[in-house]
Amino acid sequence: MSHSPLRALIVAAVLILPAAHAASAQGGRPALTITAPAPGERLRAGPIVVASQMLGGRKLGEALESGFPARLHFTVELWSVGGWTNALERVVEWDVVVRRLAVENVYEVTQVVGDRPFSLGRFTQLADAAAAVARPTRAPIVAVPGMVRQYYQAGLSVETLSISDLDEVERWLRGELRPAVRGERNPGTVLGRGLKTLASRLLGGERREYVARTGVFDADGGR
Amino acid sequence: MHRIRLLALLTSGFAFATAPIDAQQRDTPPRTAAALAVATYNAERTMRVTGVLEVTADQRVDGDVAVLNGPVRVAGRIAGTLAAINADVQLSPGAVLGGLVVVGGTISGQEQATIATEVMRQPELLRYHLAEQRLVPEAEPTYDEAWWKRRARRKPVPDDRSWSDFTFTSAHTYNRVEGLPILLGPRIRQNTEWGRFTLDAFGVVRTAGPVRWDRGTLGHDVTGELQLGRKAGVGVGGRTFDIVDAVEDWQYSAEEVGLAAFVLRRDNRDYYRRHGGLGFVRMHAGADADLTFSFGDERWASARDRAPISVFNSDEPWRLNPAMDEGTMHLATTRLRVDTRRRGSALWGGWYLDAQVERGSGTLARDPGLLAVIPRPERVEYTRGFIDARRYTRLAPGTALNLRFVTGGWMSGDRLPTQRRLSVGGPGTLPGYDFRRSWRVDPDPFTCGGSSLPGSPALCDRVMLFQAKYRTDFHVGWVRNDARDDWWRPGFNQHAAFVLFADAGRGWSVGAPDLATTYAKDDVPPLSTFRADVGAGFDFGSLGIYVAKATTTASEPVNVIVRFRHRF
Repeated sequence: MSHSPLRALIVAAVLILPAAHAASAQGGRPALTITAPAPGERLRAGPIVVASQMLGGRKLGEALESGFPARLHFTVELWSVGGWTNALERVVEWDVVVRRLAVENVYEVTQVVGDRPFSLGRFTQLADAAAAVARPTRAPIVAVPGMVRQYYQAGLSVETLSISDLDEVERWLRGELRPAVRGERNPGTVLGRGLKTLASRLLGGERREYVARTGVFDADGGR
Repeated sequence: MHRIRLLALLTSGFAFATAPIDAQQRDTPPRTAAALAVATYNAERTMRVTGVLEVTADQRVDGDVAVLNGPVRVAGRIAGTLAAINADVQLSPGAVLGGLVVVGGTISGQEQATIATEVMRQPELLRYHLAEQRLVPEAEPTYDEAWWKRRARRKPVPDDRSWSDFTFTSAHTYNRVEGLPILLGPRIRQNTEWGRFTLDAFGVVRTAGPVRWDRGTLGHDVTGELQLGRKAGVGVGGRTFDIVDAVEDWQYSAEEVGLAAFVLRRDNRDYYRRHGGLGFVRMHAGADADLTFSFGDERWASARDRAPISVFNSDEPWRLNPAMDEGTMHLATTRLRVDTRRRGSALWGGWYLDAQVERGSGTLARDPGLLAVIPRPERVEYTRGFIDARRYTRLAPGTALNLRFVTGGWMSGDRLPTQRRLSVGGPGTLPGYDFRRSWRVDPDPFTCGGSSLPGSPALCDRVMLFQAKYRTDFHVGWVRNDARDDWWRPGFNQHAAFVLFADAGRGWSVGAPDLATTYAKDDVPPLSTFRADVGAGFDFGSLGIYVAKATTTASEPVNVIVRFRHRF
């Protein structure tokens, strides 16, 4: 009996929180989507990945304005559904790097697939650069023939690159593909790195992550 | 920006057909839309634009227009076809187009415009390159499962740059013997068609007080290697050193040890001095596997702990760095390393194996322990092995089961030097049990009696350890919502993992069996004598918080552990 108010509060929270979350996911918020190919094309074409509104935030905008590039790392995985566990069948990755060229006053958007950089354009407006980032990209990862139940999962991490990465970004975008933005930076001290890692983790900075998944489909058609 | 002047471009007699306002848009097969867009771009009389194109209401363009990247804003007239490649098209009321092909972009305002022919659109972007002003579409990358392709994908792009620099950096650790070791000196990377030459020539400056101009403060570590073959091949090299090295480096990373030492004054490693040199031959197969043979001659000595600072507990003494055996040794080592967990940067799961066998011979003065005797140098020969084998299995997106088996120790010959003894217990191995504090367990299967000696050295001849970890991701969006721009709001990056783990292991000595801590050389202690724990926690990436409880010793309290790396 004395639990009634508490129970009502919990029920209200359970009802309200998902609704609030759903509402927050609408509008101009960042979103990652992945769409499986049509049934007849699953053995010839991969899924289409769209990352929209990824450059819209104030903090990221300030970082870009200050000369810090943003790196968007995409991963698309093809999984097959098993009895107890699922199995990872195929993986592809690519990157999109956004940086502001202060001298020309433009934002440059570059997609890097495999070893090759590919320009998505230079834009005076950040919104146009965000639209370039959101270009639908077909992941070159087709379904496995004969496998009945499969699905795609896309992952995206968005991070601003530190000042120590800038030289490597320059080389990377020129095509001198080193590990570049994914590491191999000149290490600082253990204390500096450790405390920075701790602080950034506690503050939640440095990286945003998104995940999207298709429904389960048959490789050879149907569903 | 290209502004098209209506009057300048107005031509007479251009027939301009119009179509119903609601000219239908359809997503056409990619090759159709892309082929038309490319053909339009490459046509001689097409006006080509890279970047923004804006056609205002009072402007008219005669002929076709092709735009790369865009965006395109049209309020006026384009008599021919507008081909927008990797560009968004925004049509204003009154816009008139002869045709519209959009590849890799969106169309807005179509219902307000007049388009003479059917709109063609390909949602996904077009990859291309420009050759002498002509646009050449590139084939979409294909997914080829031929094993050599998978091999190529697994291997990172080789670093073709040659460079040299003068480095001033830390040794990536902090400890009670050296404080913060600083490395300074030249690095050279010289790449050629047939291989690579590397040289790291570092002087070492140890910052722990007292800082004096002696070997306690100064050291060196110089390594050179000539590598024949880029993707696979053989390397020949040498190393000369005067360093402080860890007795057991397999339980914790150097970074974690450094942070715990600097912040909490807890140093979970023991150290000894190594001064000498070695030569090595290494066969490598990319970044995934290598087999190294090395032959060295070095002098071992104890390393006294000094007085480095720490953030907390600065009034407490450091755990004594145990005394070690001292003398000169010849070492022949074979090491195999295999790592199949990643392809590119993608974590597929796979195997990790680090196996080594060391044959040592020389003259050592054994540490007498608590005995008040002056140790006498004695001839020592031994063979020691060590295996760290792990299996990483992804069960589903965000769910993984990792297994680890570690065993190692004495294989033959004399008793192992103190520098080569082993232990278990503590956050890196059996987190349900405290590191080097095993008085609740008698006999001591963690250090094999070392916990009763100053500094609690590892004294086991052999250890065996099983570890299992199950982790599954979950979202913590209620703490931190990445949909907003809250990069610096307290919280975590939305994704965290819930971790369940279990460990079992022990160490033992080899000798006349006493069925407690000593077993015959061909025996393995019964599993019932192994110490085990279970635990759970949250892994936020670089930060993990866990609780662990010993299941084989009821009196052991629950331990809370903070790790800055995945457990394994």
